[in-house]
Amino acid sequence: MTRFDKLASYLAAIRYRLIIPFIALASISVSGSGYERVAGFERTYTPRGPAHLVISNVSGSIFVRAWNKKTINVRASGPSSGSVEDRVVRDEISITVRRDLRLDRVDFDVSVPSDTSLSLRNVMGKIEIQGVHGYLSVNSFDSDVRLVGTRSRSVDVKVTSGDVYFDGELQNDGSYTLQSIRGDIDVIIPSASSFSLSARAMSENINLGDFLTSLGGITRWAKGISGTHQKGGPKLNLTTYAGRILLHKK
Amino acid sequence: MVCNHCQELISDYIDGALELGEQAKVENHLSDCEPCRAVRDDLLQLVHFSRQLPSHTPSSAVWTRIQAQIEAERPATAWARIQTWMGRVQGRHFDFSLPQLAAGVAVFVVLFSGSAMLFRGASTDQANMADMGGAAGTSLRANPLSNPDIQQIEHRINELKQSVEQRKVSWQPELRFTFDRNMYYVEQSLLECRQQLSGNPDDQVAQELMLNAYREKVRLLEGFEKF
Repeated sequence: MTRFDKLASYLAAIRYRLIIPFIALASISVSGSGYERVAGFERTYTPRGPAHLVISNVSGSIFVRAWNKKTINVRASGPSSGSVEDRVVRDEISITVRRDLRLDRVDFDVSVPSDTSLSLRNVMGKIEIQGVHGYLSVNSFDSDVRLVGTRSRSVDVKVTSGDVYFDGELQNDGSYTLQSIRGDIDVIIPSASSFSLSARAMSENINLGDFLTSLGGITRWAKGISGTHQKGGPKLNLTTYAGRILLHKK
Repeated sequence: MVCNHCQELISDYIDGALELGEQAKVENHLSDCEPCRAVRDDLLQLVHFSRQLPSHTPSSAVWTRIQAQIEAERPATAWARIQTWMGRVQGRHFDFSLPQLAAGVAVFVVLFSGSAMLFRGASTDQANMADMGGAAGTSLRANPLSNPDIQQIEHRINELKQSVEQRKVSWQPELRFTFDRNMYYVEQSLLECRQQLSGNPDDQVAQELMLNAYREKVRLLEGFEKF
């Protein structure tokens, strides 16, 4: 018997001993992951109080609107190869699209009670939130972000490339941070709003519209302006590097 | 959009110099056109590669030669021009009437008082800026990069960069492109902040923007480290 024959017979002997545990291990890891196919993913959650919804997407849009019901409905659409996982811990609901080497597009269509807080994460794809008043946090890289009809006390939007649009009302002592490295920051608020403004634009392109004439305590720099409107209060921090800052009265 | 037109615009697209409409058209075309995507990926590789090249300081002999060339090509110094003009004026004879002289004096008074007001305004602005710079506890005055915050952030960036570079090899081209493009925007912003600060190290807003751009770089790397 040659050395090669000995090796072949040894491998044949251990093959079945290895394959069975391997299959068992693989099946455990798949069932334990909690991921399921995106196609046809739809869930309805019934939180006891104001909930916190976290959506971590990779590529695709996230659209969230407020409705009158007390439930949260999440629908995802995308290719059958994509997978998504949901976890619920008390009133915190986390929905995560699996990150792998493929970049499958997954679109989310979500309806929530208006007092829901949202943390939305994405790599690329549009994000829109309508009429939600809980804390809002949006963290993405290549996304246009639109916040419409919001009365949240805390808004934090950070994108690397993409425009940020805010149309809503500022709340007392609220904090509103909108930032894009390459994109416009477009803010529309009622003309009677009180706020403390800090606008920074590396491009030096800041247009405060009619607010400029009614802004007090103005401090100007080459690439920024700070000031107070009415009584001050809510902090409005707007930052862009290659883009414009536009502030309009509603 | 046809391929020729797209490939003409790709360089500007990578530089972020296209209008949003044109950018959208290019992206639309790229999403359907494999050859143009290949051109884009090649160009991105070039941009990245060239950014990693070491910078060389030219020898003093090169500077001397450049200076000599500039001197030789310079038409005349400002002082030489003034002397020529004075020479021409001296050779002439002027006659002014009383109203002409009065108008001349009035113009002089207006110009003098205007420039004095401008000068005073500029001094006040500078004083205000100096006050604000002094008040900032975390001022990055002398050398923005010597600030401990930024050093700490740079350390973190280097760690993350290593990790991302290892993973990047296995990424899909679209993901790689998205990362490279966004990283390019952040790098450009940092570069602009540095340029602004090299001209005016006390620029408080530029300091703030630079620190913020560093944080953005960390955010970007952390976001892509998970792939």
